[in-house]
Amino acid sequence: MAERLPPSKIVLEIPSRLEWLDLVDRMATGIAEQMAFSEEDANSVANSVLEAATNAIQHGHQYNPAHPVGIVFEVAPDVLRVKVHDKGPGFDVGKVLNANPTGPESLLEPRGRGIFIMKSLMDEVVFEMEAGKGCTAVLTKHHPARRAAL
Amino acid sequence: MKASTRTEGDVVVISLSGKLMGGPDAESVRQLIRESLEAGKKEMIIDIGDVSWVNSTGLGILIASHVTVSNAGGTLKLSRVSKRISQIFMVTKLHTVFETHESIEEALQSFTG
Repeated sequence: MAERLPPSKIVLEIPSRLEWLDLVDRMATGIAEQMAFSEEDANSVANSVLEAATNAIQHGHQYNPAHPVGIVFEVAPDVLRVKVHDKGPGFDVGKVLNANPTGPESLLEPRGRGIFIMKSLMDEVVFEMEAGKGCTAVLTKHHPARRAAL
Repeated sequence: MKASTRTEGDVVVISLSGKLMGGPDAESVRQLIRESLEAGKKEMIIDIGDVSWVNSTGLGILIASHVTVSNAGGTLKLSRVSKRISQIFMVTKLHTVFETHESIEEALQSFTG
């Protein structure tokens, strides 16, 4: 059984190319396993971090490898917070956060699920945007067993 | 991502492996689907048992494949969907779109049964 980890910050920076997503996935999965999340919760973390990084590469930087995507994993005893940062112009948060791609009219649309997946799988998803500084997706997953033990 | 095809009777089995994430993956799968339809094969299985993860762009590839095959009067089924990918199918309700099977053999039998 994994020991309770002290608060830690793990930082990764990748070029804006899809080929680097697997490294992001391996880090997210490894950290979730290190924190002893259940398999389902570890999958939730990895799937959601992948979506945030995909958005940053595709929409934030439009695949420009000169603009790196920053990913910070903030590990606490009972919670994992992941911040995915790009330097893009951001987007209309209200419009996107309220979109539901599971209705019959949009179920066969090939796009538009990334943020919905993050919202569905994480405990909290917040987008921080500041003109000229870019967009940061902040994804939070609590560790139920450890939270109860605190 | 790597992709290969084989034919079992009237059914084309497209096997994907690696990561399904968009970019050139989309064209690879699209081409295999197109070639199968042009050859008159309208019953297809995409086996994703060796796909370690899929993002929303990769989901779009599967959806586009489903739509293309359905519009051509065919049927597309999936086999060996991992727990991790099933999780995404459930939250996006794509489990209501795709017929899935535990194995390629089971999927093949579903066409003949």
